[in-house]
Amino acid sequence: MKTKKLLARLADFMNKDRGTQREELEHIREVLKKLKKKEQRLREKLDADPDDEERRELEGKLEVVHAQRTKGLERVKALRENRRGTSADKFSET
Amino acid sequence: MQRILLIAVFLVLGYGLWASPDLKEIAAGVALFLFGMISLENGFKAFMGGALETALRRSTDRLWKSIGFGIASTTLMQSSTLVSLVTISFVSAEMITLAAGIGIIMGANLGTTTGAWLIAGLGLRVDIAAYAMPMLVFGVILLLNRSRALKGVGYLLMGIGFLFLGIHYMKEGFDAVQEGFDLAAYAVPGLPGLLLFTAIGMAVTVIMQSSHATLLVIITALAAGQVTYENALALAIGANLGSAFTTALGGLTANLGGKRLAVAHVLFNVMTAAVAVALIGQMAWAVDQISGWVGIAEDDFLLKLALFHTLFNLLGVVLLAPFVRPLERLLIRYVHFAPPPAEQPRFLFPESLKTPATAVTAVRNEVAHLYDNAHGLIAHGMSLRRRVIDSDASLSQAVRQTRRIMPLDVDDIYETKIKSLHSAIVGFIGEVHAREISEQWTERLYDLQQASRAIVEAVKATKHLHKNLSRYGVSPSPSVREHYDGIRVQIARLLREIGQLRTEEPGAVTSLSLDSLRLGLERSSMERMNSINRMIRDRQLPPQIATSLMNDEAYAHEIGEKLIDASRVLLQSDEPGDRIADERLALDEGDIERIARGSKPTADAPGETTP
Repeated sequence: MKTKKLLARLADFMNKDRGTQREELEHIREVLKKLKKKEQRLREKLDADPDDEERRELEGKLEVVHAQRTKGLERVKALRENRRGTSADKFSET
Repeated sequence: MQRILLIAVFLVLGYGLWASPDLKEIAAGVALFLFGMISLENGFKAFMGGALETALRRSTDRLWKSIGFGIASTTLMQSSTLVSLVTISFVSAEMITLAAGIGIIMGANLGTTTGAWLIAGLGLRVDIAAYAMPMLVFGVILLLNRSRALKGVGYLLMGIGFLFLGIHYMKEGFDAVQEGFDLAAYAVPGLPGLLLFTAIGMAVTVIMQSSHATLLVIITALAAGQVTYENALALAIGANLGSAFTTALGGLTANLGGKRLAVAHVLFNVMTAAVAVALIGQMAWAVDQISGWVGIAEDDFLLKLALFHTLFNLLGVVLLAPFVRPLERLLIRYVHFAPPPAEQPRFLFPESLKTPATAVTAVRNEVAHLYDNAHGLIAHGMSLRRRVIDSDASLSQAVRQTRRIMPLDVDDIYETKIKSLHSAIVGFIGEVHAREISEQWTERLYDLQQASRAIVEAVKATKHLHKNLSRYGVSPSPSVREHYDGIRVQIARLLREIGQLRTEEPGAVTSLSLDSLRLGLERSSMERMNSINRMIRDRQLPPQIATSLMNDEAYAHEIGEKLIDASRVLLQSDEPGDRIADERLALDEGDIERIARGSKPTADAPGETTP
């Protein structure tokens, strides 16, 4: 990812209020659940001994779902850490 | 209407066959003859995976070569219709010029006269049914083979066998009729007879879709004395006119080039027929003179009819051959078909402008409409029927079985079905922007406009790709063919998968599925580029073809990318949460490239840590 784009996203992220971040977290978790189910379905299809062409296709789809879930999890982790950090700041202020 | 006509023909023919055993024999003869021609066509098609195409390209750079090719191929295939239709498809694909096409059609008209000689000279003198039987037996045995070439030979043998058997039955039928009553009593002399029998010959050929079959009927009827020599000459002229109608029908489905060739065919045959009718007395005299020189007996009307058939077609060629170039110029200048009206938008109405939400929905539906049109055009551009793409049938098999690339006028369809809608979408979005709307809607409209543009760009890339696909798509070189087959399967699969995703509920998971299509596109493209480079290194590919392959690879990649870009916008849900999740989880170019190159994912496996 380009540095400029990353910085923009970070700035955007930092400016968001907690409510928006919570909503985002929920949406991403929802989609991650669906993606996990999709991954399971793909694995079942792969176990059913498909022909070479279909196997290749399924493996490609699995790789993509895996990468998307990895990205999603990283985002969830960042959102959680940020929430914890914000809570800690507030606690120390009091 | 067609159904009613078919039922009427069945009823009349059914009654006729029930009432007259002789008619049954004649009709069976015609049916077998036509079936023989269909088998012959099938046989030749089995060998047309490039051979005919290559020969056609090499043999049409001069007019005499084109005429010679038309004569030779029609003599060999015994079907001027097949040669004419193949020629139309080649002119449509701009692989040969219109003038070369006209030359081939002229030659085909001359080549078809060999059929008359075959039937008159051999068919009615020798017991050809005796030859038919072994051909049918061997043909069927070969047909049961798996090899395509052997199957092709089987079809050819069966085709000739059925042709012979058809001739035999016709002969028997007319001989039997002769014993019952005399059809020749209905002969009409003079000019009215000439015109009447020309019209009958034309009608019979249009119905049977074969001038060969008409000639067979004429010659056997003449041999049995059921038609006078004069009327038989008129029938032969009519048969020639009728064959032009079959080509004209074929030309209707072709593009402008093909249509021009069909017009040329009709013009050529009408002019030849007009000259033959006008000079019928002189022609008959010439036939008598030439018959005397070559030793055809005075009363051998069968061979004289065959000679007449050849002579008047030859006269047509001699008279019109010097005017092929001017005819080409005239056709290009004057034959323009009124373009079909441009497709109108289905969803963009002033009422939709009332709120930003309705306007965005209208634009989104219209972009989906545009995508549907592009889907059909690109499918045809890949020489695959839309119903094949939209089914579960094996795409690899459908592509492998392609014998001919479909002619397609991409420019024409672009103007009527793509550009008109794109312009309407851009115009409508402009009107929405004129009424101040929030940033959220502006962004949505911007995305939709980009999607519309991406569709247009995919179609433009299809146009370029289709041109080379017509040239090399069914190349006799296995490596080149394999490459184009790979491109076609790739794009067809993309169209199919996007089509399936569009039937699913819009949402983040649906639009995220497009990433795997992008990965497939990148991988296939990389593999094909590696293969091209390897072939260049090993000198298996001439540089000209290699550059075409590289360009086409780029076009194929662009088609895929643009279709995915457009689909992402169309598959996006209206739910803000879904859009955020889609934005966060979608893989970018770098991610896709890393996976395509086989790099291991850097993060931990997500399976165990999913929340």
